[in-house]
Amino acid sequence: MKGNGQIDSGSQRSRRGRVGVVTRGSLVEGLEMKLDAERNVEDMKAGKFVVIEGDKNDFFSMVTDMRLDATNSEILLHPPARSDELLRQVLAGTGTYNIVSLRPMLMMSKDPTSRDFDDGPRPVKAIPSHFSLVQEAEEEDVACIFGREGDSEGKYFSIGSPLDMDTEVCIDMMRFAERSNGIFGKTGTGKSFLTRLALCGLIHYDRAVNLIFDVHNEYGWKAMKETAGKTSSFVKGLKQLFGDRVAIFSLDPKSTRARGIQPDHEVYITYDQIAVEDIAPLQDELKLNPTAIESAYLVYAIYKNSWLRTLLSLEGPDVEEFAGEIGAHAGSLVALHRKLKRLESFPFMVKKLESSNGDHRGDCDREGDCVDRIMEHLDAGINVVLEFGQQTSMLCYLLVANVLARRIHEMYVKKSERFYATQRPEDQPRQLMITIEEAHKFLNPSAAKQTIFGTIAREMRKYYVSLLIVDQRPSGIDDEVLSQIGTRITALLNDEKDISAVLTGVSGTEGLRSVLASLDSKQQALVLGHAVPMPVVIKTREYGEEFYKAMGADVEDAGQRRQQAENERELLFGPE
Amino acid sequence: MTEGGVTGTRSLESFLEGNTRPVSRPQAAVDDGVGPAAGRTGEVIESSTTTLVAEARHLHEAPDFGAFVRVESDGRDIVGVVHNTRTQSIEPNRRPTAYGKTEAELRREQPQIFELLRTQFEVFVLGYFDGTSMVHLFPPQPARIHSFVFPCTPAHVLAVTEDPQFLRSILETTGLPTDELLLAMLRHALDQRARGERGSRAYLAQMGSELSRLLRDDYDRLSSLVRRMTTWEQA
Repeated sequence: MKGNGQIDSGSQRSRRGRVGVVTRGSLVEGLEMKLDAERNVEDMKAGKFVVIEGDKNDFFSMVTDMRLDATNSEILLHPPARSDELLRQVLAGTGTYNIVSLRPMLMMSKDPTSRDFDDGPRPVKAIPSHFSLVQEAEEEDVACIFGREGDSEGKYFSIGSPLDMDTEVCIDMMRFAERSNGIFGKTGTGKSFLTRLALCGLIHYDRAVNLIFDVHNEYGWKAMKETAGKTSSFVKGLKQLFGDRVAIFSLDPKSTRARGIQPDHEVYITYDQIAVEDIAPLQDELKLNPTAIESAYLVYAIYKNSWLRTLLSLEGPDVEEFAGEIGAHAGSLVALHRKLKRLESFPFMVKKLESSNGDHRGDCDREGDCVDRIMEHLDAGINVVLEFGQQTSMLCYLLVANVLARRIHEMYVKKSERFYATQRPEDQPRQLMITIEEAHKFLNPSAAKQTIFGTIAREMRKYYVSLLIVDQRPSGIDDEVLSQIGTRITALLNDEKDISAVLTGVSGTEGLRSVLASLDSKQQALVLGHAVPMPVVIKTREYGEEFYKAMGADVEDAGQRRQQAENERELLFGPE
Repeated sequence: MTEGGVTGTRSLESFLEGNTRPVSRPQAAVDDGVGPAAGRTGEVIESSTTTLVAEARHLHEAPDFGAFVRVESDGRDIVGVVHNTRTQSIEPNRRPTAYGKTEAELRREQPQIFELLRTQFEVFVLGYFDGTSMVHLFPPQPARIHSFVFPCTPAHVLAVTEDPQFLRSILETTGLPTDELLLAMLRHALDQRARGERGSRAYLAQMGSELSRLLRDDYDRLSSLVRRMTTWEQA
């Protein structure tokens, strides 16, 4: 680098990519750097990762903003002509200059003998002195902060690389699993790919067992990859990558089979499994009025678990009479009854689990409670993908997710309490992470207080259950829940409200806003929070053959398999 | 000693054009060839810390405007730049008269009038050489009267103009034709570089940047200077 020879950097390790010097700033508002004249301002992208070499510490920082400036307003009034190349060259860096705003994120002592050196990167509590050199971060810097995949503890999982760099950015899977996390982004920005990556990391390193409410059927088996008008291609799902460690449950076995997948289990829900608490969050979808829930509680008070079955078994005209019997308001109960009738149209809703009417719906056994089944799997460390097939209506999704999550949560609370009582390591429940899409439906300010997901998000790891919230409209999620999110992986967001929502509960967010709004719409994400030492913009890891291999999956493709089958057939029966 | 000291014995031909060697002037006593005076271009006749006045060795043969010159004095080489040249009568009270003839005719018919003229040039002191390195400070002592003035060698010019400090010296001194002088100096500096290894463009950009810093409040002046430099490149 041209500029590097002029001033001795004086650091322990000389980096090669000088970009400028620090000129002003504060701890609160971040630092400003004057860009070296020979550097092109277009190379300084928001989110780029640089290192400020102070006298005692290296400050790992992120580029958050840049500004064109001039010493003299005359220059701006009479800018050099296009042909005045020499004049422009002369003015560059003197009369006209570029200021780049930096946000120091971490600092690390340069002196190997100092006490702080062993602690590694620490939060920034100081700022570098005037004219400290700013260098481009190198691979070693990134590894020093984010760790490297393949460490002995199996902690680090690479999810991508920093902007304009070829090295990997890792998230600490242990920390990722122990808190609720969020994956946000506008539609089409790669949320599903990010989610799939995160899930692969969790499963591969066995940091948590996952229950995935797969409302769009894209995690279990293959999913389509958006390829901007070109022939669409498919990527492998979790079941393909992890085989026996993933089980597919289906609410709509017909649809699942139509896509060429054999579900491991079918899910049926009986009316008795639905509690009034499960209906409460459906207020919006069913357009229930507040008194409807009160009426439901009245029915429940008498009929307990069979309240819904009893209510739905009534025919229209009988409801009023029934209301009189239980002392409920007739109009309200009639409305509730009318609206709950919609539930009967769901194919997975059954009266009893042991089908008495001989209506055998599939070759999977329907015996036993599906929640128990799911729990068995989760206990055995098998991840569960719950496919919704064609039952993608919000009503269905909300209902099923609530019913299942509530009961699973209850079981986890019991298990945790037992563990607290016995304190035996074998009683310790496995960390469970529940993935929910369209999370704002469960976690909006009114629903968050009623749904079980709000409770899980708040109580968090006390009971070994956490959430992986996938959403495109984070502003719809209750602030209280957002502030508890550990790690946020955020693809492009444009809406101011969404951006503020994602940054709720994060300090020093001013610079990050501009970074968030300027992400590419594909394959770029901002990662911040508990599992990474500092916020970082990444180019998402390629979800392809190489990744499958890294996850230890069998990558032979269909063509190879067909060829092998053909060979074996020939062996058995001779050539055709 | 040659015929310089023997006044009146010069042949008429010796006054013809092309042979302008003065006859009666004492400083002509030392000739070209070897010795400390070899290659000199003038001799100091007035000296101060900041400026020197030198008399050119030959009439009309002062160094170019903006050229870098060197004066050997007190064992150090003082470096300066020529910023003014004038030719006038030797005697302050007498002024040359217009004859209405060409110089060639005059030299043939009245060769003595050229003997009564002298060319002087003024040098602004930029600094001095301490050994081989350039010091951008005024010398501790001014050049001695009668020291010889030499043109700077290309190596000297490179050394003097490497550091843009000289631009500042010129800009901050009053009484100089600043802009013209700067351009002339840069032109001389550039001539040495075009032949050297460094790109002339990079050099101009570097010096321009320094000017831009020095003239930060005067964008018009800077842009006019730089635009004039641009034309050299195109030439």
